[in-house]
Amino acid sequence: MDVLARGGPIERVVRRAIIVLMLAGFVLPIALIVVTAFKTRVDALEGSPFALARPTLENYGHLFGEYDFGHFARNSFIASVASTAIALALGALAAYGLARFRFRGSGALAFWVLSLRMTPAIATIIPLFVMLRAARLIDSLPGLVIVYTVANLPLVVWMMKGFFEDLPIDMEESALIDGNSRFGAFLDIALPLAAPGLSATAILTFIFTWNEFLFALILTGRNAQTLPVAVTLFVRETGIDWGYMTAAASLMMLPMVIATLFVRRGLARGLTMGAVK
Amino acid sequence: MSHPMTDAGDASDIGRRDRVVSGLPGTRWLRRQIDTRPAWFFLSPAIVVLLLLSIFPFIYSFWLSFHQWNLSDRTAGWTFVGFGNYVRILTGDPYFWSAARVTLAFLLVTITLEFLLGLGIATVVSQESRALGAIQTIVVLPMMITPVVVGLIWRFMYNPDHGIINYVLGKVGIAGPAWLGDARTGFWAVVVADVWEWTPFMALILLAAMQSLPREPLEAAVVDGASRWQAYRSIVLPLLRPAIGVALLLRGIDAFKTFDLIYVLTQGGPGTSTQVLSLYTYKWGFKFFELGYAAALAYLMVLAVDLAATFGLRALERRT
Repeated sequence: MDVLARGGPIERVVRRAIIVLMLAGFVLPIALIVVTAFKTRVDALEGSPFALARPTLENYGHLFGEYDFGHFARNSFIASVASTAIALALGALAAYGLARFRFRGSGALAFWVLSLRMTPAIATIIPLFVMLRAARLIDSLPGLVIVYTVANLPLVVWMMKGFFEDLPIDMEESALIDGNSRFGAFLDIALPLAAPGLSATAILTFIFTWNEFLFALILTGRNAQTLPVAVTLFVRETGIDWGYMTAAASLMMLPMVIATLFVRRGLARGLTMGAVK
Repeated sequence: MSHPMTDAGDASDIGRRDRVVSGLPGTRWLRRQIDTRPAWFFLSPAIVVLLLLSIFPFIYSFWLSFHQWNLSDRTAGWTFVGFGNYVRILTGDPYFWSAARVTLAFLLVTITLEFLLGLGIATVVSQESRALGAIQTIVVLPMMITPVVVGLIWRFMYNPDHGIINYVLGKVGIAGPAWLGDARTGFWAVVVADVWEWTPFMALILLAAMQSLPREPLEAAVVDGASRWQAYRSIVLPLLRPAIGVALLLRGIDAFKTFDLIYVLTQGGPGTSTQVLSLYTYKWGFKFFELGYAAALAYLMVLAVDLAATFGLRALERRT
C-alpha cells in the first residue's frame, strides 16, 4: 500500500488529522474512566468530565477494602493462568500432530476443532453447568479452569498449528536421524523454535480468559467469582457508584493494555485463527 | 539432543520405529508417513478432553432440548416433550421472533458500520509509514479491554445526568435523551458502543492484509499511469477480498453471539428492543431455570451459526 502513498503536503496534513481524530475517539473514553477513578464522589458526578480538581485515591482504597477487589483479582488471575497453561500444553501437542502428519481425516479433525470455536458459548454452557453441578464444581476455581481450558483449546490448536507449519522441517528430520524420538524432536527442536508463536498464543489466551464473562457469570458465586462478574455487581446495588466502578475498570484494563503491547504482532493472526498473517 | 522424557513410555517406542527410515534422502518424508500412530500420541490428549467436555455435553443438551426440566423445582425431573420445545419456540413464542429480528438487525448494522469504518481506517493508516506500530497498538485497545468494562465505559458516558455525552450536548444547548433508557435510542446506543469496540478488529485485519499485499501489481499500475483511486479500486480491493471475507465471517459470527455488552448496557431493554438471542436464551436457562427450553433455543442458535459458517466458508473458498 505504501506504493500509493504519494500525495502532496496538504493531503499528508489531512491524513494525519484524520488519524489523530480517530485515535482520540478510541482513547478518550478510556482516558475518561482512568481520570474519573481519581475523583471524589461529588466531582465524579458534577463539573467538567476531564477536570481533576481534587485527585484522590479513596476509590481505590474502598475497592480493596469493602469490595475485596483482591479476592476477585486473585480468582481471575488463577483461572486465566492455569487454564492458559493447560490449554497450551494440550494444544501445542495436538497442533504439532496436525501440522506434521497427514492422515485420513486430519483435515476434518482440524475443521472440527475450528467449528468448536464458532459454537455460541450460551449453547455450551447449559450442559456444562449441569455437569459441573453434578460434580459439585459450581463456584469453584477448578471447575472454572476446566471450562476455560476447553474453551481455549481450539484457539491454541489453530494458532500453534500455523506456527509449526511455518517452521522448516529439516532440523526435526536431522534430530530424528540422530536418534531422537518424535517427542524428543518436538520438545527439543520444534517447541523452542516456535517459542515466539507460543508466547503470542499464551498472551492471547490469557487476554480472552481474563475478559470472559458469560461462563463466569453462570458458573460462579462469590467464592470463585472473577473480576468481570464482580464489577457488574456494583451495578445491581443501589445505583452505580462511578468512583469505585471506574477504579475497578482501570485496574482491569491495565494488564490487558500491557499484554496488548507484547502481542501486537501476533494479533491479526490469532484473531483470524491463522487465516490472515 | 535427547530428552529425559524420551527414555520411557510410548514416545520412545514410536521414535525407534521411525528411525528405520533414517536413510531416506527425501525432504518431506516426515509428512508422508504411512505410520500415523505417532500422530495420535500428539493428538489424543486434546481430543479426549474435547470429546469429554465438548462433544458429550453437546449430545447431552441435544437430548435435553426434547425435555421439559425446571431446575428450580427440586422434585421435578425430566419430562419428555418430543419436539414440543421447538414447536413452541417457532410457533408460539413472539419473544423468540422479536429476539431473532433484533439479533439480525444488530448483526447487519454493526458489521456494516464496522467494516466501512475499519476499511477507511486501514486505508488511511496504511499510507502512513511512521509510528505505524504505535497507532496500531492504540487502535486495538477497545477490543482488547474487557467487554464488560467497555459496557461500563459507555454506560457512564450515556448517563443522562452526569454522562459526558449529555454534558457536551448541554454546553451547546441541547438536552440529550436518556440514551439507554429511551426506546427510540436504546438500540442505536448499543450499536455505537459495539462499533467502538469492534471496528478495531476490522481495521486490524484489513491493515495486516494491506501490508502483506504484493508490491508488483501496484507498482506496475502506478507506472502505467493509473490514478491512486483506480489502483485502489481495481487492484487493492480485489486482492483484499479473502481477508475481507474472513473478517466479515468471523465478526458476523461473534456479533451473532453478543452478550456481555448488552447485558451490561441494557439487559435487553428498553422493552425488548435490545434483547438478542443469546440474552433471551440466558434468561430462560438461568433466570427461569427452564433448561430444556433454553437448550432448544441454544440449539437453534448453533444451527444458525453452523449454516452461516458453512455457507460463508464455502463462499470464501470459491473466491480464493
